[in-house]
Amino acid sequence: MTAGSIGNLALIICFILNIYLIFSLTTKIKKKSFKDLKKIKFINNSIFILLLFSFLTLIYCFIISDFANAAVYQNSHTTKPLLYKISGAWGNHEGSMVLFVLILSLFSFLFSNSKVNDELKIYTIFFQSILIFIFLLFLIFTSNPFDQIDPKPLQGLGLNPILQDPLLVIHPPFLYFGYVGFSLVFSFALAGLVTNRFNSLWSKVSNFWILLPWSSLTIGIGLGSFWAYYELGWGGYWFWDPVENASLMPWLAATALLHSNIVTLKKDKLYSWTALLSIFTFVMSLLGTFLVRSGVLNSVHAFANDPYRGVYILSIILLITFFSLVIFIIKDPKKSLITNYSFFQRDNFILINNYFLIFFLSVVLVGTVYPIILEAILGQSISVGPVYYNTILTPFLFVFLFFMAHGPLLNWNKDKSIKLKNIKIFLPISLILSSIIIFVFLDYKNIILFLALIFSIYLIVSVVFDWIFQKKLNLNLGRLFSHLGFGLLIFSIFINAYSSKEINSAMKVGDEVKTQGFIIKFQGINKIKKDNYEEIFGNFLVSKDNKQVQLTPSIRKYDQPVQFTSETSIKSNFITDYYFAINLSEFEKDKIMVRFYYKPFMLWIWSSVLLIAFGGIYQTFRARNEY
Amino acid sequence: MNIRYRIIILTVTLLIIFALFLKVLNSNKVYQPNQMIGKKIPEFVLEDLFDKKIKINSKELLDKDFVVINIWASWCIPCRVEHPLLINLKNNNQINIIGINYKDERMNAKNFLKTYENPYQLVGVDSNGEVSIQLGAYGVPETYVLNKGKIIFKNIGPLNEDIVTKILQLKK
Repeated sequence: MTAGSIGNLALIICFILNIYLIFSLTTKIKKKSFKDLKKIKFINNSIFILLLFSFLTLIYCFIISDFANAAVYQNSHTTKPLLYKISGAWGNHEGSMVLFVLILSLFSFLFSNSKVNDELKIYTIFFQSILIFIFLLFLIFTSNPFDQIDPKPLQGLGLNPILQDPLLVIHPPFLYFGYVGFSLVFSFALAGLVTNRFNSLWSKVSNFWILLPWSSLTIGIGLGSFWAYYELGWGGYWFWDPVENASLMPWLAATALLHSNIVTLKKDKLYSWTALLSIFTFVMSLLGTFLVRSGVLNSVHAFANDPYRGVYILSIILLITFFSLVIFIIKDPKKSLITNYSFFQRDNFILINNYFLIFFLSVVLVGTVYPIILEAILGQSISVGPVYYNTILTPFLFVFLFFMAHGPLLNWNKDKSIKLKNIKIFLPISLILSSIIIFVFLDYKNIILFLALIFSIYLIVSVVFDWIFQKKLNLNLGRLFSHLGFGLLIFSIFINAYSSKEINSAMKVGDEVKTQGFIIKFQGINKIKKDNYEEIFGNFLVSKDNKQVQLTPSIRKYDQPVQFTSETSIKSNFITDYYFAINLSEFEKDKIMVRFYYKPFMLWIWSSVLLIAFGGIYQTFRARNEY
Repeated sequence: MNIRYRIIILTVTLLIIFALFLKVLNSNKVYQPNQMIGKKIPEFVLEDLFDKKIKINSKELLDKDFVVINIWASWCIPCRVEHPLLINLKNNNQINIIGINYKDERMNAKNFLKTYENPYQLVGVDSNGEVSIQLGAYGVPETYVLNKGKIIFKNIGPLNEDIVTKILQLKK
């Protein structure tokens, strides 16, 4: 018996056990006997362990390069380094779907072993196991990772140098842990609705289950962006590419959910909205999965793509959406008590920013999906690029930052004394600071940039003020970190966007280019011979105002016949990145095409994302201890 | 609004979304390779790599007793491994091989054949990989032997001496 068939068997046993689990949960629910969960827990734990085993078996197939396995054949190669053989296991459609089901089950496993009301627990596991059933069905029948091919090939096909990057090893697991993690709060919301237990206790528990995947998704998005910056060689870190948007959409929905849930917890209101967002966040995750996995987007990269696969994913997403929304419509917990309403109270500011987040989400959703549908129906290609997103999102982002700065400083209840009196402190500080930055340090003067600096500094100042001067006993550090991170992120993104510089030129050794305040000197080339490629390094000296930076980008020439890849060279200091990439010229054979980017505040962008995620992680542990 | 109306609106909305995306999925040409052994090859017309005027038509292959098709690409490393065997088939056994160049750049493909010598009688350009997938290919390289347009033998991955011997036996 091969490893592959053992893994396959484990999947099938899981499937049967899962049906049995659904069956026994249904009897329990019918009898309304919510005690004695031992058996349920045992089956639930076994499903998780078997899935884990099956996943490890798949990794084993990749390690031993078992090319009789179709997934291994298409995505691996005997000469690949071990790390990339292992990561190949989840770097493809089939393997990533195993990871998907595994994380569904992991969350079910963690939840069933946590302290929650038994009735809620039973219903939550019930909904979660229905999700597992649906995706196991999909996995086994349309995307089986253990499919065999005959005759067995001698060597695999997966030896793409660009995809062999340590960042791509950890990026998908983080992303998936986030994406799929939202399934638990989805199931928990349905359980709360069905059992009429959608109350502040529900919110208290769900806080943890929202924060955990949210933090992971934040890191996942950050890592993906980091990879694009380092590896693609175009100086950018976010391209508004549909695959990137697919991960941003659940993040926006989850951020809205995270905040509305706090209102539900503290103020005993916004029940419907929180329930709806719980459902919607997971639906956005599913939509992302559909876009990335159905071949709608990346038909160029997809070698073998089953057309039924896409139809299947589409159908299950819509069915899940349909049934969850029907439950929501029937059991809508609309018991919002609006008493003592005042504009100036914290929950109101949170709600306003919730609407903004949903607006941002809609913009991204339309920008991602509309072109695909238009092309299919009218055969017309339109390009929706950064200009669309930046123009629509920017002005609203400023207002968003304003509410974000003041919300946490307001009381939960109607309070006239506080209102926005801090404007008197924040506005002058942020005006002065941004004026100094824009007139003294930056040579690019632009009203949008000026506004962006004012509002982002405004938020940063408010966080610092909150941190230092509020002298609260119970300081909410998680929120402070994340909000500070967000302020810094917007600040850095805008400075980066407006003061980045790009120089393109064709150069040969000895040439010097003087432009935009930079002097680029092409000093020479080095060649290094490696096993399967020859690397040609260009030595460039970039000078700006007496500062000199040495950069050595390279072109790798893989053994005959000729195949080239370009490796970037990045020198980073606290403020700026000097980023260099070279290509061979097609028209002038004796010259090299040179791309130089001056990218300020890149390090700040990465640090801000880390800060946001760190706040989330901190808060996750706090939420854990609270219930 | 009562519950029934809400559910009706929800159903209609989701059905519209379903129809739209179904249309998207169907307008996408992506295929799953099938087991094609023993079956007739699909109809296709491919342009030749070196001379755009020459077309390789699958119908012309239907009356031949022995045709070898090799799917390859310049970016494919295993293809380099099997290349000497293809040259050998051409030079020492006088076998005419039809190459199908899978998802490749014309320039790279020509460079490949210049560097390594060209074992093919004709090379069809399959730039989006459609024909290869219709033939049942999982990837590159793959080699097919046809008899009167029927696939009688198929090798997934690079060739080796044993497989070449098998192919030569099929010729007899």
